[in-house]
Amino acid sequence: MAQTQTVTDTGIAELILLWREEAATGMESIVCLNMATPCTAVVGSTFADPADTATHHTDSGLQLAAIATVAGDTVNTAGDTILFDHVFTASATKNVAGIHVCNNDDDVTFIECCFNAVLAMENTDTLTIDGQSTIEQA
Amino acid sequence: MAESMVTRGFLETTVNADHREGFCENCGTQTANEFYMDGNRKRVRSACPECGGLGRLIVRSVSIQPPPPPKCVKPWCLLRFVLDTLFCALLSSYHTRRATYAEVNRHKKILERYRTGEPAPQNIWQAIHANIKLTCPICRKYNVDPFLFGEKLTEGN
Repeated sequence: MAQTQTVTDTGIAELILLWREEAATGMESIVCLNMATPCTAVVGSTFADPADTATHHTDSGLQLAAIATVAGDTVNTAGDTILFDHVFTASATKNVAGIHVCNNDDDVTFIECCFNAVLAMENTDTLTIDGQSTIEQA
Repeated sequence: MAESMVTRGFLETTVNADHREGFCENCGTQTANEFYMDGNRKRVRSACPECGGLGRLIVRSVSIQPPPPPKCVKPWCLLRFVLDTLFCALLSSYHTRRATYAEVNRHKKILERYRTGEPAPQNIWQAIHANIKLTCPICRKYNVDPFLFGEKLTEGN
């Protein structure tokens, strides 16, 4: 299966809440997904229930953390893109199947990504994430 | 009723991930996170505090975007879409296979293109070649194209 990535339904709902100025928070956190085989990103994934049988890593440097940098950018129309960077440094041997990009409250997943292959992280290995999301005008 | 056809607006997401060893490939010092400026954008990377080098790349996972939907119902538009979709599937298959191959052989010397994903196949024919080559241990080891009876590949192929 190819690498798959998607904005989740709950992520879109959180965006709409932001537009409505109701209780919602922006892109803030990132966490690695733990699974022994490649997963497939789906729009129905949630923070509590990632794709397939994946779970969130909870330790070893791959757990939920504040995204290192978040910035705005322009692809088609001014300011239509968000860019984010993060570096995970593993402190043990772990599998990483993908990532979740979450909100500040750590209860909504905006973006789910499942990598081309399961990354076999070893102690001190680094995983540099370079992501972007663009809203394209109809 | 409008005759024109518009495409859908959408949310497009791409994520690229570099899996690297945690020690500088130049001097062997353990790398550490550092912020740097990429134009006006503040970014982060894990770099050597001594020489600024990076850890040895194990594999780069890349996003493949599906082709846009056809904008007309003329045969050529539909055929173009079918061909683009086929290329997308073959390219996805290639990147999945080469990423798995690079992860499994993280401590071995393999062709750098399987770690970086570049150069990637540019058309259907190249994608078919690349996929078959990845399944052929001899072709991988000696960097030869299975369809060209052992002819050595050049950098761009």
